[in-house]
Amino acid sequence: MTTPGTAMPRARGIAPVRRPPGTTAAESRWLLWPPLVFFALALGFPLVTLVIQSLEGGGSAYIDALDVPAFAGSLMRTVVMAVVVMVLTMVLGTAYGLAVVASPAWLRFALLAALILSLWTSIMVRSFGWMLLELPRGAIYWFLGLFGLADEPIELYQTTLGMYPAMVAVMLPFAVLPVMSALQSLDREQLNAATIFGAGPLLTFRAVTWPQILPSVLSGGVLVFVMSLGFYVTPLLLGGPGNMTVSGVINAQMNQANRPDIGAAMSILLVGGTMIVYLIADRLFRVSEKWG
Amino acid sequence: MSTPVGRSLGWYRVPVVVVAILASLLLIVPFLILVATSWTGGSFILFPPEGFSLQWYTEVLTDSRWMESFRLSLWTATVSTAIATVLGTLGALGLTRVRSRLAQRWIRTLFIVPIALPPIAYAVGLYGVNMDLGFLRGTLVTLIIGHALVALPYVFVIVSGGIARIDPALRPAARTLGARWPLILWKIELPALVPYLLSGALFAFVVVFDEVVLAVFLMPPGEQTLPLRMLNASQEAFSPELTAASTLVSILAILVLAVIPLSNAVRRRRARRAASARPAERTPALEGVTP
Repeated sequence: MTTPGTAMPRARGIAPVRRPPGTTAAESRWLLWPPLVFFALALGFPLVTLVIQSLEGGGSAYIDALDVPAFAGSLMRTVVMAVVVMVLTMVLGTAYGLAVVASPAWLRFALLAALILSLWTSIMVRSFGWMLLELPRGAIYWFLGLFGLADEPIELYQTTLGMYPAMVAVMLPFAVLPVMSALQSLDREQLNAATIFGAGPLLTFRAVTWPQILPSVLSGGVLVFVMSLGFYVTPLLLGGPGNMTVSGVINAQMNQANRPDIGAAMSILLVGGTMIVYLIADRLFRVSEKWG
Repeated sequence: MSTPVGRSLGWYRVPVVVVAILASLLLIVPFLILVATSWTGGSFILFPPEGFSLQWYTEVLTDSRWMESFRLSLWTATVSTAIATVLGTLGALGLTRVRSRLAQRWIRTLFIVPIALPPIAYAVGLYGVNMDLGFLRGTLVTLIIGHALVALPYVFVIVSGGIARIDPALRPAARTLGARWPLILWKIELPALVPYLLSGALFAFVVVFDEVVLAVFLMPPGEQTLPLRMLNASQEAFSPELTAASTLVSILAILVLAVIPLSNAVRRRRARRAASARPAERTPALEGVTP
């Protein structure tokens, strides 16, 4: 999320020094091998196990997985949810980032405080908060009741409509942070130049600000999309049984249907899909470099 | 008061700010409600809460099951964080010494991939490893290793950000003076990276401490980490005890993470007092927000 590594050299117009002169092969071997071995063990081993497990029945687990009636639906639902959440967080995140730099100090402080607080509290705790809001006689009911608007308990909890705001809220910080750091390293002189040459707010935004923050908006969106694909806790708590995501179906296969091979096959499909999306987006938008 | 970006938006900033305020309500209101329900004097979740009492906090803090889960989470998260910090730092340092651009890009992507990895699929894979290797069954090894992998990208990202700010002339200078790479690492790079190491480790710790999906699959029967106990409690009955526990966990996370901006502020003040006229690298607003 921090961009100084990429943004600062670019702003100064110097190519980043990638490999300091005078490094030896021994050096990179000693530094890089331990984490790479760890990755091979901690990431490679479980993935290989998944593949082996899913192929135990000669590949029939994949056919069975696609035959599980809940799976196709959940796949569709998960992708739709990830797309909707991505778009909403990108729009809200851009507005949020802009507002942080555009508002007076007291408001900026409040916006940043809300952002930091929600980034620092766990996703599960925030989902609990949303449950309390949405319960039939929860906080929203009470709030509407103040205005005499709620006669009977509201039906939001464990519905699709109730799940989306929580998902967006949980994912929002990941979309705001890249935008915010892009806006902070924006070239101010270009903005001043645009103003001096008489460009109005819309033209300045379209021609100067937007092109410079677009890569960060996109990489935030990709991140939200990919994380939403594998989301488990919030849909479980707020979506209920009618809104099972792929993660929920995998969990059901493992713990209720007791078919670890199908669970493994679904996991492979989920990991594969997520990784393909991530790697393509990474090549296109250099998401990883926005982080490093 | 108004920044160039703010000025450039003209009056369009009003709707933008209104949208952002509404979005910030999405972020903050659920948490406030959660906190409010925990101080209820009654025994049910109610909003608005009935009266004010801290009975549910005493309940949680004196309950041996909650405290046992807390201790379990504390030490497993500490071990995972230590692994992630060492390896993430090595990786970030090693990456700068890779010659080929292409290899560099792929390795960087590899180090960030765990963020995008669907936790449930990874958990199922680790569970399979647990079943295949009998000696791991009933231990916390896979949980700790899995958590370390999940936390590693955060350390990597933060430490990489720190490396980018080390003066690139220092290494050649040290080398010209005859220092070999372990000495350069120890005397020049690591001291400069300590604050980034610290914030990376703290962030990783909070991420791991809150992680629940791996714990669902990998905890031996009878043991529960704190988030797992909270998740299970939420599936049974939503009680003020649970919201009190959630509040305590959040306060802990906030206290732990507040160390980062505070220590940064102290460091800045010290640097300013040292009267080095280096230009400020970034505006302070972002410190501690970006991992």
